[in-house]
Amino acid sequence: MPGASLLHYRPWRGRFRGVTLSVLPVARISLWMMFRRKLFWALYALGLLMFFMFFFGQYLLAWAETQTAEETVRIGVVRAEPDKLVHLLREVLKLNGTGYTYRNFFWFQGYMVMIVLAMAGSILVGNDFHFGSLPFYLSKPVGRWHYLLGKCLAVAVFINLMTTVPALILFVQYGLLDSWSYFVESGRLFLGILGYGLLLTVCLSLMLVAAATWLRRTVPMIMTWTTLFLFFPILAKTLVDGFHYDRHWRLLDLWNDAYLLGNACLGMAQDTIRPVEQPAVYEAGLLLGALSLLCLIYLNLRIRAVEIVR
Amino acid sequence: MPDLLEPADPRGRDRALNAPSLQPEPALAPFVVVDQADEPPLLLFDHVTKWYGPVIGVNQITLELRPGITGLVGSNGAGKSTLMRLATGQLRPDLGSVQVLGHDAWQFEAKRHVGYSPDVDNFYEDMSGRQFVETMARLCGFSRLEARRRTEETLQLVGMAQQASRRLRGYSKGMRQRIKVAQALVHDPEVLILDEPLSGIDPVGRMEFLALFRLLAERGKCLLVSSHELEELEKLTDHVAVMAEARIAAVGTLAQIRDLLDDHPLSILIGSDHPRQMAGALLAMPDVLGVDLGEQDSIVVRARNPRRFFPELAGLVLEENYDVHRLETLDDSAHAILGYLLGGRRVEKRG
Amino acid sequence: MEESGSRLEVGGSRVGVGADGALTANPSSALNLQSSLESSHSSAWLAWCYLVWFCFLRQARARQMVWIALALLTLITTVVGLVTLAGRVGMEEWRWTWVGGNQPLRINPQEKAGPPVREPPIPPHYVRLSYAETAQGMQVLPHAIPMPSSAAALQDAVAGATRIALARSRFYLFSNWVVFSVFVGFLLPIWSLSFATEALGGEREGRSLVWLLTRPLPRASIYLAKFFALLPWSLALNLGGFALICAVGGWQGHLAFRLYWPAVLGGTIAFCALFHLMGACFRRAAVIALVYSFFLETILGSMPGYMKRISIGFYTRCLMFDAAAGYGVQPEKPSIYLPVSAATAWSILFIAAAGLLVVGMIVFARTQYQDLS
Repeated sequence: MPGASLLHYRPWRGRFRGVTLSVLPVARISLWMMFRRKLFWALYALGLLMFFMFFFGQYLLAWAETQTAEETVRIGVVRAEPDKLVHLLREVLKLNGTGYTYRNFFWFQGYMVMIVLAMAGSILVGNDFHFGSLPFYLSKPVGRWHYLLGKCLAVAVFINLMTTVPALILFVQYGLLDSWSYFVESGRLFLGILGYGLLLTVCLSLMLVAAATWLRRTVPMIMTWTTLFLFFPILAKTLVDGFHYDRHWRLLDLWNDAYLLGNACLGMAQDTIRPVEQPAVYEAGLLLGALSLLCLIYLNLRIRAVEIVR
Repeated sequence: MPDLLEPADPRGRDRALNAPSLQPEPALAPFVVVDQADEPPLLLFDHVTKWYGPVIGVNQITLELRPGITGLVGSNGAGKSTLMRLATGQLRPDLGSVQVLGHDAWQFEAKRHVGYSPDVDNFYEDMSGRQFVETMARLCGFSRLEARRRTEETLQLVGMAQQASRRLRGYSKGMRQRIKVAQALVHDPEVLILDEPLSGIDPVGRMEFLALFRLLAERGKCLLVSSHELEELEKLTDHVAVMAEARIAAVGTLAQIRDLLDDHPLSILIGSDHPRQMAGALLAMPDVLGVDLGEQDSIVVRARNPRRFFPELAGLVLEENYDVHRLETLDDSAHAILGYLLGGRRVEKRG
Repeated sequence: MEESGSRLEVGGSRVGVGADGALTANPSSALNLQSSLESSHSSAWLAWCYLVWFCFLRQARARQMVWIALALLTLITTVVGLVTLAGRVGMEEWRWTWVGGNQPLRINPQEKAGPPVREPPIPPHYVRLSYAETAQGMQVLPHAIPMPSSAAALQDAVAGATRIALARSRFYLFSNWVVFSVFVGFLLPIWSLSFATEALGGEREGRSLVWLLTRPLPRASIYLAKFFALLPWSLALNLGGFALICAVGGWQGHLAFRLYWPAVLGGTIAFCALFHLMGACFRRAAVIALVYSFFLETILGSMPGYMKRISIGFYTRCLMFDAAAGYGVQPEKPSIYLPVSAATAWSILFIAAAGLLVVGMIVFARTQYQDLS
C-alpha cells in the first residue's frame, strides 16, 4: 500500500508475552460471541429472577423485622402479620443468611445454568468447528490446550455470573442488613460460596467443552446436555423416591452431587438435605472427579485427532 | 493531478453536474437498444430500496434487464448481493418493486423463471452432485425421469458429468461452483442470476463458462453476472451496471460509461518521432487538458470527450504529417472506469 | 445517446468473444438442451410432494440426533424393563419404618416428622415385613387366631382391600413416575423438540435454506411440507417409544399404553407445531424450545390457578388424568391443579396445533431470512 510508507510507523520493539496468556483473548472472544446475542441476555434475565427473589426477600425480611410491633403490615395490596411473615421468610424460605440460603440459591439456579450452558456449548465450540473458524486459532502460535482452556474460562465466567457472583452479592447484602460481625462470623460461608462456585466451574466447564467438542451441532448438544442435567435427575428421583431403590442411584443426578459437595463446602450437615436419602459426600465427589477426569482424557485424545476439514 | 477543467467552460460544468456517480438523482445518460426496446424487460427493478435496519442496502435502483448479459460490478458492500437477493425473492424491497416476467419476485411464480447461483458454499454435503441437481429439478416440479434427463444434460453442459457421483463434501471449490450453475440451469429459466460464478474455476473452465454464458445469452436468456474478475467480465460482456454505495453509479457499455466521465479525462499514449512538436499542437486543441512527455518518443495526452478528440487527432496527424507509431488508451479498462466511479476506493488488479 | 429521465435501460444481445476466440464448451449440447428443456412442463403439486419426501429423508440425516434419541429410548426401556422384572414397580416391596416409643409411626421415611419431643428419641429401624408380607399376614391372621366371625370378616375385608390397593399401586406408580415424570416431563418434549427444531433450524444453521426458498414453491407450502415431514419421525419416536416403554412395563405398562396413547399423540402434534414455529421465528430455536419446555412449563406447571393452562403439557396430563380416572390416578392436589375435561383438552390441543401451524405458515411466508448465506 503506497500510503503506508508515509505514516512513518516504527517497528514494534516490545516483548512478546508468554503463550499461556493467549488463553485470555480466546476467552474474551468467546465471551463477546455470547454477550452480543440478545438471547443470552434474555436467558440471563430469566436466570436472575431467582436472585431477585432472594435479594428482595432479604430486604422484605429486614423490613418485616422492624414491624413486629404492628398487628398487620401492608405489602402492596396484601396484608400480612409481621411475625408470620418473618417466620415464612426466615424459617420456611431460609432467607436467614445461613448456609441454607446460599445452598438453596445454588440449587434453584440449576435449570437456568443448564440452559445457558447448552446455548454456550453450541456457540462457543460448535460454531468454530461448523463455520471453520478453528484454523484461525490454530494457525497462531498457541497450543490446542490454550484454545480449550480459553473456552473453559469463558464457560466459567457464565457459570459464576449466574451462581457465585449473585451468591456473594446476597452474602454482602445480608451482612449489610444484619451487622458487621456477620462478615466475621460467616467467613466460612464466604469461603464455602467460593468453593461451591469453583466446584461447579471446574466440573461443568470440562463437561460442556467435552460435550461440545463431541457434538458440534446445536440440537444434539442440547439433547445430550439435557439428558445429563434433566433426564438423569428425573431418573434418579424415580428410582429412589418412586421405586425405593438404594440411595446410591441418586448419584446419577450430577447437579445433586455438586449440591452435596457444595453443602459440605458451606459446612452444613448432610441430614439437613431433603430428601433424606442421599449418597455420601465422598461418593459424589468421586463420581464428579471421575467424570471430570474422563472429560480431560477425552479432550486430550480429541485434540490430537482433530482434523480441520470442511 | 490539478483539475484542468476550466470553471468557465459551460460544457465542463454541465457535464460535471451530469456525471453519473453519486448524484442525488439517477441522472445518468443511458442508452436504449432500439431493436429490443419494445420487448418487455425480463427483470425489472422499479425504484427499489432496501434497508437493513438503519443501513441502506440498495437505494432507489431502477433497472430493466432484457435478454443478454449484464455484468454487475462494485466494491464490497455496494449492494450487489442485495440486488441479487431481491431478484431471486429472498428479500422484499421496502420501496418499489422487483418483477420477473411481470411476476413479483417474492412470489413463487417468479421463481419458475429465475435460476440462481448464489455465492454461498453450503450444500447438502452428504449428497452427490448428481443427487443434488436432480433434487433441485424435482423441487421445480419435474417428474423423476424428466429430472434425471435434465440433470444429466446440465451436468454435461457444466463439465461435471464424470465427477457427479461423488459426494459434495469431497468437491473442490470449482466443482462446487459448477454444480451451483448446473442447478440454476436445470429448469431452463429465462433469467439467470449468477453471483460470482467464476470464483474458484480454473482458467480453462472459465473459458468454458464464458462460452456457455454467451450461448445462453444468444438464446434469449437474461444473465445478470456479478464478479470481481473484471478482465473476465470484459471478455464476457461490455454491458455493465456499476454499483456504488447502494446506488447504480453507471449503466451501459464500458465505452459509454467512459465517455460520461468528463471529470476523469482519458489518458492516451502516443508514440511519435516528433513528440515535442506534436505535444505543442495537441495543447492547442480545446479537448486536451494536458500533455506529458514520456520516454522513448512518447507522449501521454489527457483529453476529455474522446469521441470528438480522436477525429481531431486524426485530422491533426494527417495535416501535419506526423509519424505516429503507437496509439494506446491507458485507462479505458473496466478497472480504471470502476476506479474512477468508485472514487477513492482502489480496485486491485490481479496479475 | 439520449437520456431517458429516471429510467435506466440496459439490454442487448451482443455476445462477446474472448480474446482467444475459442469456445471450448459444447455448443451443440447447449442447443440440444435448450430445445429439450423447453418442451417439458412442471407441476407445483409434484414439487410439493417431493419436498415432503425429501424433508422426511433429510430428518434421518441428522444422525447424531437420531442416535441420541434412540439411546435415550434404549436406556429408559432397559431401566423400566429391569425395574418391572425385579417387581419394584408396585408398593409391595416397600417397608414400614417403626420408630416406636415416643416417636410417631411414619409410613413413609420421607414424610416430615412430627413435633419434637423432649425425651431422647429411639432411633428408627425398619420392620422386616414388607407391605405385601403385611397384607399376607393380615389375610392369614383370622385363620391363625380364633376371633369372632364379624371380626374375621372385617379383617378379611381389610386384607382384601390392602391387596387390591397394592396391586393397583403398580399402575399408580407406573403412571406417576414413568409416564408423568419421565415421559411427559422429559422424553415427550425433548423428542418433539429435537425433530421439530431441526426441521427449519438445521437448515438455517447449515445455511442450506436458500436452496428451498429459491424453488418455485409458495413459502407457506414449504413450511407445511417440513411439518408433515417431521411429524412421522416425532410420532414414531414418541408413540413408538411410549409403546416400547409400556411394553416392558408389565400389565401396568400395557394398561398405561391403552389409556394414554391418545394423549401422547395429541401432545406430540401440539409440541411439534409449537417448536416448528420456533424454528421459523428464531435462529436458535432449540434453545428457545428448551427454555419453554423445561423452564416455563415447569414453572407454569407448578403455579396454582389458571396460569398453567398456557402450557401444552398441562392439557396432555389432563387427557391422561381423564383416561385413568377410574384407576385412581389423579393430580396430587386437584383443587390446586384444576384439571380440565378431556373434551376441553382435546379442543385446546387441536386448536393450538392448527393455530400454531397457520401462524407458522404466515410467519415463514413473510419473514426475510438474513442468515441464508
